[in-house]
Amino acid sequence: MVPIACQTRNLSVAYRADPVLRRVNFSVPVGSVMGIVGPNGAGKSTLIKAMLGLVTPLTGASEFFGKPLDQVRRRVGYMSQSTSVDWDFPTTVLDLVTMGTYGELGWIRRPGKAERDRAMAALEQTGIPDLADRQIGELSGGQRQRAFLARTLVQAPDLYFMDEPFQGIDAKSQQAMIDVLKDLTAQGKTIVIVHHHLATVRDYCDHVTLINVGVVASGPAEETFTKENIRTAYEVRSGAEAFLETAV
Amino acid sequence: MDLIEFFGNHTFRMVFFGTMLIGIVAGALGSFAYLRKQSLISDVVAHSALPGALMAFLIAVTVFEANGRNMLGLIVGAVATGTLSALFANAISARTKIPIDTAMAISLTVFFGAGMILLRIIANGVFPGKGGIDDYLFGNASVITIADLTTSAAVGALALALMLVFWKEFTLRTFDPTLSTMLGFRARIIDTLMFTTIVIAIVIGVKAVGVVLMIAFVVTPPAAARQWTSTLPGMVALSGVFGGIGSGVGAYLSIVTGNIPTGPVIVLTLFAIFLVSLLASPRRSVITTALRRARAREDLRRELLNEMADR
Repeated sequence: MVPIACQTRNLSVAYRADPVLRRVNFSVPVGSVMGIVGPNGAGKSTLIKAMLGLVTPLTGASEFFGKPLDQVRRRVGYMSQSTSVDWDFPTTVLDLVTMGTYGELGWIRRPGKAERDRAMAALEQTGIPDLADRQIGELSGGQRQRAFLARTLVQAPDLYFMDEPFQGIDAKSQQAMIDVLKDLTAQGKTIVIVHHHLATVRDYCDHVTLINVGVVASGPAEETFTKENIRTAYEVRSGAEAFLETAV
Repeated sequence: MDLIEFFGNHTFRMVFFGTMLIGIVAGALGSFAYLRKQSLISDVVAHSALPGALMAFLIAVTVFEANGRNMLGLIVGAVATGTLSALFANAISARTKIPIDTAMAISLTVFFGAGMILLRIIANGVFPGKGGIDDYLFGNASVITIADLTTSAAVGALALALMLVFWKEFTLRTFDPTLSTMLGFRARIIDTLMFTTIVIAIVIGVKAVGVVLMIAFVVTPPAAARQWTSTLPGMVALSGVFGGIGSGVGAYLSIVTGNIPTGPVIVLTLFAIFLVSLLASPRRSVITTALRRARAREDLRRELLNEMADR
């Protein structure tokens, strides 16, 4: 049996008294690329945040490599949506990527040459080493995502969580990110990716969890990413059937 | 008045170096308040420092029969009520649907109002050394003593040291709180440390500048410095320099021009620095930015018109 990289049991989240997630159960096998797929407001981002303790769950818990997150923090990386920060912050791309090393440095210790060299290597991996000294405010949408990806790579985790990494980016950045993702899976890393574009789910993901507040289906893509399940998750009405035909 | 005469006078020297010290500390530490978008909450803290400073006075003269204007006592009291007011505003907005700006206004006015009542109680009572206690409102730089200066310097240095020691944590938490938490840094620890430094930056100016105008020392220098710099160390350093220069120049001007209060003149000097920064900074100047945008729009319009003509 394939070992499990992470799993959640009965994870529920409520905003005030409204359920956003309802008793979510699913697990991610080591080495897989798991797509979290569902309509707007289905709780995709919230699911990842609740697993990582960034949102307090109402019920349930998550385990990473069989342990609570606090014991395996170094092995788990999270790439948030790039809109979550203020890009007018006075800092350079290299300094932004170097932040990925702060966790292992711990309190007070400063990053040195070794940390900056690793940040530079991560920028090379994502194809933007020439932007290292640029102000982060000067980056395009795609470059921002690549800088965020580089910052996550620097942490060298075994399990990656990515929230809409392909949101609003150019074709070149998209290709650069896909190449990195392929590298990671070739190295046996596990990736959990929030993705809303139905047509490309199968291109990136070998596993899929379809959610809409609750889990509709979770497992290998060929078993779960079916028209039947998608229809259930998206509560598709007849008018959208034609779109589904082309999408899947 | 020439400079030798100016610096030969003890009171002038105290005003000059006292306000300069406040300007440097508040300017440098204010950068983090600016970047965390906490300028307004800083004003709540400044105004709410009033009842704390006055309570410190009352406790000192009635309980300890000591000097009511003791700088350390003033700082402790001001930090206490200043912090309380910020917590109060945050608690209201977290537990209700009342927006944070309303919660801050409520908190500021209730603490400041309490301070005004305490002022009147002190004015009506018999307390040693109560003369000029209402200087806490608008400040009086000419009453700064050597002891005040050394206490302010020590407390300010402590706050600056905290900032330098936890530089990495402050930066990370300010830029990306989520990543900070993900990497295992306790948010509450960083926030407490950071808030402490900002509150210190505010309250060391209560005596010389007063609670009403102190916020200008915290927010104006960083806003000006941001125009010129593109790194955080550069911004903090330049903001401290702007705060120091603005205070020194303002203090000098207020004295040589005669009877003008120091705090307001410094505020205007800081504003002049801010204005020049807005207009003249190479990369972020409002003028060059507007020109660049207008030119780009014009280029685009021509390009579109050409496309249409080609059809």
